[in-house]
Amino acid sequence: MNWLQQNGWQAAALVLMALGICALMPRARTRSRTLGLLLAFAGTAIALWLLPTPAGLIAHSVLFWLFAASAILCGVLMITSRNPVYAALWFALVTLATCGLFLLQQAAFLAAATIIVYAGAIIVTFLFVIMLAQQAGATAYDQHSHHVVLASVGAFVLFGALLATLRSDAWPAARPPEEAAVIEPALAQNGLSRTHGADGKMQSLGRSLFGDYLYAVELAGTVLLVASIGAIAIAPRRSQGTL
Amino acid sequence: MFDDPGLNSLAVTLLTIVAVLGGILGTCTYLILLERKLSAWMQDRVGPNRVGPFGVLQPIADGIKFLLKEDVIPDHVDKVLYIVAPTISVFTTMLAFSVVPFGPVDQAPEWLRFIIAPNMDLGLVFIFAVTSLAVYGIILGGWASNNKYSALGSLRASAQVVSYEIPLGMSILGIALLHGTMNLETMLTDQAASGVMGWNIWYQPLAGLIFFTAALAESNRLPFDLAECEQELVGGFHTEYSSMKFALFFIGEYTHVITTSFLVSVLFFGGWHFPYIAEASSAYAGAWAVKLLVLAAKVLLCIVLVMLLRWTIPRFRFDQLMGLAWKVLIPLALANVVLVMCVLQFGWSHWWLTAGSVLLFIAAGVIGVNASRSEIMGRHQVRATGFSPAVPPG
Repeated sequence: MNWLQQNGWQAAALVLMALGICALMPRARTRSRTLGLLLAFAGTAIALWLLPTPAGLIAHSVLFWLFAASAILCGVLMITSRNPVYAALWFALVTLATCGLFLLQQAAFLAAATIIVYAGAIIVTFLFVIMLAQQAGATAYDQHSHHVVLASVGAFVLFGALLATLRSDAWPAARPPEEAAVIEPALAQNGLSRTHGADGKMQSLGRSLFGDYLYAVELAGTVLLVASIGAIAIAPRRSQGTL
Repeated sequence: MFDDPGLNSLAVTLLTIVAVLGGILGTCTYLILLERKLSAWMQDRVGPNRVGPFGVLQPIADGIKFLLKEDVIPDHVDKVLYIVAPTISVFTTMLAFSVVPFGPVDQAPEWLRFIIAPNMDLGLVFIFAVTSLAVYGIILGGWASNNKYSALGSLRASAQVVSYEIPLGMSILGIALLHGTMNLETMLTDQAASGVMGWNIWYQPLAGLIFFTAALAESNRLPFDLAECEQELVGGFHTEYSSMKFALFFIGEYTHVITTSFLVSVLFFGGWHFPYIAEASSAYAGAWAVKLLVLAAKVLLCIVLVMLLRWTIPRFRFDQLMGLAWKVLIPLALANVVLVMCVLQFGWSHWWLTAGSVLLFIAAGVIGVNASRSEIMGRHQVRATGFSPAVPPG
């Protein structure tokens, strides 16, 4: 009971959003989307009322709301659109909006790299495959989603866990005042970011990547190399003489 | 202009954007005339000569025709994406220009800035990020047209642009290492401060060649215009487009060529620097105008080179195109980066970079000739036996 008093509204918001998304998902037969939209908006409104609003420069706030709102909206449109090509394009817009949020957090290089890798290459490959696979128009089984309830419940349980973690008091604002004085206000508010030479410059990013996280970077690079060698080894049909 | 510094900087930014937009659009229209005249000259024709003296009013007539012609939207297209595609094409290429310094930034008159977004630490990475989105215009245009030729064109384009982004990005890594920054302004002032021998082309000739080739492929121009080659695909991804939407695709392409030429001039040929008349220290009255003209002349030379290449080198076959990116340009760019790293790490003279670049070029040539010779020998063998050696019997 105590838990419900503390977290009831949050749970209600999550349930409403999950129901709304469930109702919005494309099904085998078309029907009105009003109910789903209403539920999703109600849940989002409660969540907005619960979550602390960012404080800072007016330009920062406006940009934050712009990017965040378009990321969420495009995300919903991505999973609810009937046409795979449109879904891929909404995904590209989600990536761009998220990159805008990265920029607001002084992570310019991360934003640019994400655009190059995701929006510029991976989604282009998706489109490539979709266009090759669907020359005769979209097939019936591509037009509605499968396991709607299971997917919604799973996603929103994960989302709730993430929110609960973010809102818990396990993250003290343990930032020494001399460090908090030099970094940007948008960064200082973020209790989870541990900045390192926080000037947002590429030099400090490089020093961090190839100094503090050298083993992780090398390990990731090796894994990617192994994966690409594996892909090259699997891809060609040997009987046809390539490789 | 204004007392408030914030308002003043906003006004200067807006003015610079207006100047850049007007400049690029005006240049685009006259580049089309230049291209037609150059093509005519190279093919021993006269070219457009009816509108105005020597045809100088031809671009204006073309523009009016583009605007006034009936705007046909075919019945079978995906209407939203069909209309959005050309705008993406123009928007991304224009956005890339915002971090390119098009004049002496530190000597700019107070009402103009010569760069839209100054002090961008990201610089080149931003340009690559934005131009990597330009492929959406082509892909969506081809897909939304609902036409087999358009779809084939956009499939080719997506493979080509995604592949050539890699050598494009890797070729300038060496320069970024030499200058210790990705900021275009800093790269330019560094080169200008060390005189004509400080131009990057002396130390990174191979990187310059790779960059130019990859950028040419990115802008989908001949000899890399596989996405729209007329003999095979009618018009490629823009077969179904007419009037201003067709023109938007071409404005996008020409803007890409202009941006590329600016990048080549700024990265490899010292930007606005020229010995004696436009040194870093020259501050005589009107020096900024001279520097602007020097940079414009370098850019124009680069554009003319691109246009002359169009009628000089025949179009690649698609497998040759992919082979050039993955088997030639990417390994060469990687080797170049390793060379720069060695020189910087061991503190050797920068002239070793030049020698190393030439050696790499020669090595690539020898390997290439050997490979093509063995391929030709293989082909002879096929003809002799009527049997491909690549396919094992049974």
